This record gives sequence, C-alpha cells and structure tokens, in this order.
Amino acid sequence: MKNNNKEIAISVNDLHVYYRDMNRFSLKKNGIKGKGSGKIFKAIKGVTFEIPKGQILGICGKNGSGKSTLLRAIAGIFSPDKGSINLHKNTISLLSIGVGFQKQLTGYENIYLSGMLLGYTKEEIDKKVDEIIEFSELGEFVYRPVRSYSSGMYSKLAFSITAILETDIMLIDEVLSVGDVHFKEKSYNKMKELINDSNRTVVIVSHSTKTIVELCDKVIWLHEGLIRDEGDPEKIMTKYEEFMRQEQ
Amino acid sequence: MKRFFKDLKKYKNYILYASKSELKTEIINSYLGWTWMILEPLAFMLIYMFIAGVIFKSKVEYFPIFVFIGLSVWNFFNKMVVASVKLISNNRDTVTKVYLPKFVLLFTKMGVNMFKMFVSFILVGVFMIFYKVPITWNILWFFPIMVTVILFTFGVSCLMMHVGVFVEDLTNLTNIALRMVFYLTGVFFDLSTRVHNVVYRTLLLDLNPLANFIYNLRNVLIYSSAPVGMWTLIWFFISILLCILGINTIYKYENTYVKVMR
Repeated sequence: MKNNNKEIAISVNDLHVYYRDMNRFSLKKNGIKGKGSGKIFKAIKGVTFEIPKGQILGICGKNGSGKSTLLRAIAGIFSPDKGSINLHKNTISLLSIGVGFQKQLTGYENIYLSGMLLGYTKEEIDKKVDEIIEFSELGEFVYRPVRSYSSGMYSKLAFSITAILETDIMLIDEVLSVGDVHFKEKSYNKMKELINDSNRTVVIVSHSTKTIVELCDKVIWLHEGLIRDEGDPEKIMTKYEEFMRQEQ
Repeated sequence: MKRFFKDLKKYKNYILYASKSELKTEIINSYLGWTWMILEPLAFMLIYMFIAGVIFKSKVEYFPIFVFIGLSVWNFFNKMVVASVKLISNNRDTVTKVYLPKFVLLFTKMGVNMFKMFVSFILVGVFMIFYKVPITWNILWFFPIMVTVILFTFGVSCLMMHVGVFVEDLTNLTNIALRMVFYLTGVFFDLSTRVHNVVYRTLLLDLNPLANFIYNLRNVLIYSSAPVGMWTLIWFFISILLCILGINTIYKYENTYVKVMR
C-alpha cells in the first residue's frame, strides 16, 4: 500500500472485549466480591488492524457484531480484556448520537464541559464557542438547561461541539443522520470537510453503503466480533449487502 | 499515584468548572436560591437545639455553635457518601461517551459540598463573634483537622463509589449505617460528658473518626483548648492510606464500570 511510509495513528492488536454477565447484583445472591461468576459474552474476539494517519476507515457489520464496542474501546471507555490499543498520543473524540451532557446544566456550560473533557483549555474554547453556537443553530436555547431540548437540538449541539473542537482522531457512530434535512446536509458537508483534512484520522461506523463508499478509504467488515473481510469500500460493501440479503 | 497527580492537573479546570456550574444550577433552580445554604443548617440546628435543650435538658456551653460545628462536618460527610454510591450511574451519559478518570466526578461533588461546608463554617464564625467566644491561638488547629476531615471523606467516598457500581442495595445499607453513625457521633449531644464508661468512651470518641473530628473541632474553636488525644493524628494517617487505596481501586477497575452498567 502507498500509505506504508506514513505514520500510524491507531494500532489495534489482537483486541478482545468481553462482557461478563456481572450485572449489578444484590447481596442476596453473592458476597461483596466485585466479580460475578456469570457467563461471558465475547463482543470482540481478536481484532487486529492499523490505521495510518489521515486514513478514513469505515466499519460495517450487522447489529451486535461489535462495531460500537470496538469504537468505545478505541475511545478508551472500555478496557480491553486482552490485546492492546495504541493511539500514539493522538487526541481522540467519540461522536455518537447524544454525547454525554449534564442535563441540568445549560447548553453553554455543556460546551465548556465537553470541550474540557476533550482536552481543550478554557481560553481555546472561548475562541470557538460562538462558532459552535452558530453552527448548532440553537440560538437562545443554548442558555437553557439541556433537559429542555428536543432530541434534534440535543444531537445538533453534540455534533457541533465535536465538529468544531477538532481532534486528531474522530470516531463517528452513525451520526450522519442528525436533525432535520437541512441540518443533515450541513453536517454531512462539515463532515466531509473535516475528513478531507489529511492530518485527521477518522473511523466511521455506519450501515449506510452510500456513506461508506463516498467517504471511506478502506472498510473493515465485522462479523460476530471478528474481521470477516477488509479492503476497498466498493468491493466489500457489495459483498456485505449480498450477505445481508441472504441472511433475511 | 503519579498518574493521579497528572490527571488531577489535566482535569483541574474541568473539576472547577463543573462544580461551579452545579452550584449555580442548584441555586437557580430553587426558589430561595443561595439562602438555602444557610437556612438548611440553621433549621436543623433549631430542631436539635429543641430536642437537646428542651427534652434532654442538656447544658452545654455555647450550645448553638456546638451543634452547628457538628452539623457542618456531618452534612459534608453524609452528602458525600450518599452521592458517591450512585455517582457513576447518575453520570452514565458522560461516562459512556468519553473517557474521564472517575475520581474527577468525585472531585466535582467534593467541590460542591466543600463550598457548602465553607459557608456553614462562616456561619460558625459569625456565631462565635455573636456569643463572644474567647478566641485563642488554638483556633489554628482548625485547618489541620479540616484537612483530615476532607481526606477521610474522600477516601471513604472513593471506596463507596467503587462498590456502589457493583452492589445494587448499597444505598439501603449506607442509609442504615449513616443513621447509626449519626447517633454515635454526638452531633447534638456531648459524647465526652454523656458517656461515663471508659471503654465505650474510647470506642465512640476515638475509634469513630467523625466523632473524633467533631469533638476536637469543638475543643479548638469554642473551648480554647488544643486537640485532645492522639487519635486525630492517627486518623490523619489512616485517611491518607484510605485515599491511596481508593484511588488505586478506582484506577484498576474504572474501565469495567461501563460494562456493568449496561
């Protein structure tokens, strides 16, 4: 591949993520020990890949194939049970429907809080806050508590924060369908603009063949926690669609 | 521990901003706003003054201040422990979307409640002037004792937060335990003169850290004496150990919290 001489942005090495069936339990059944003896559900069972800097990687797969888990593991929210993930000191943000807001606080305060969680200083956010508010189209609503927002406004704000406070690596979870038609188009274009920055590494999880073929350089097809196929978007997506049709 | 200080530095602004916002919203959302921070302890003080003064006929010098000191510390500890049990699941929106060291959530809560305690102690100061309490250099002991109170509370909260993720009925257990400790702490009566049996007195006054802290705070603030006994110092070191244990436990398990919450 021609990317060989490029820096690597993310390396995932033999990644396993398990969910132990240790749902919160009551004292009746167990002792105080943290780990229940329950069944183990293996969400990801040994995935290895590397993403060179600037690449746009798509991940497809049917529901429950481990896509979101993989994304969260890369974002550092889940710990791998085996294997490793190396981000090579890049900053990272996970963009998914409804980024975590403190519901009782205003949108404005949440911009600052989210920004600080992404590793920005207050001064840096000061400079960008107007742009975020403008892009989100929330107007005066930005000074009201987030709990009064409609779900569309909620996602608009979430998208705007992550889109404008740029990070080296962006992880996108099915987010291209945010808000109404107008905002969808706007966010899609913003997305393209962000993605076209050759320094930015992007991982997109999507069911939409159109999105993946149009945006991505490469696709990984996850199936039951393993990589079933990877390579050129168009080829893989054709295979994937065929497979999904047969499943039905 | 090195990682702890690095993370603390990194998230310092977040913690400050989040505590400030939380305080602000709490104030905006209630009808009487910031006055609640004064009204609440004041109301409780009156209740306990009534119980102790009228029903039990207790005769403690500077009784309102006596109760107020106890309440300030107790409220801080109580609120922190209650909040930390459910802290992770109450913040699930944040926790499932970004990585943040989980003690950051705890620090935010600490910020909020420390501010409330601070206001409460300003009131203690006002009362002290009002009642013309003789002021001596012993008052400076207030600061090291408060540091111990804060360290102890943080250590306990860390562990409660961790266990709270896994154990569903911890809320019920803590409620019972806290109520018990409340009565054993002598918030509105004087343990040192009420309990005459020496064994019980050591148990209640020295081995119950909160009773010990409150007892000595009263000594240094209103009774012009130095802290009595070595136990506050011993609790200081135990608290540091608790904090280290708590922080290490959280670091070790924090990334599994999200998996459990599904």
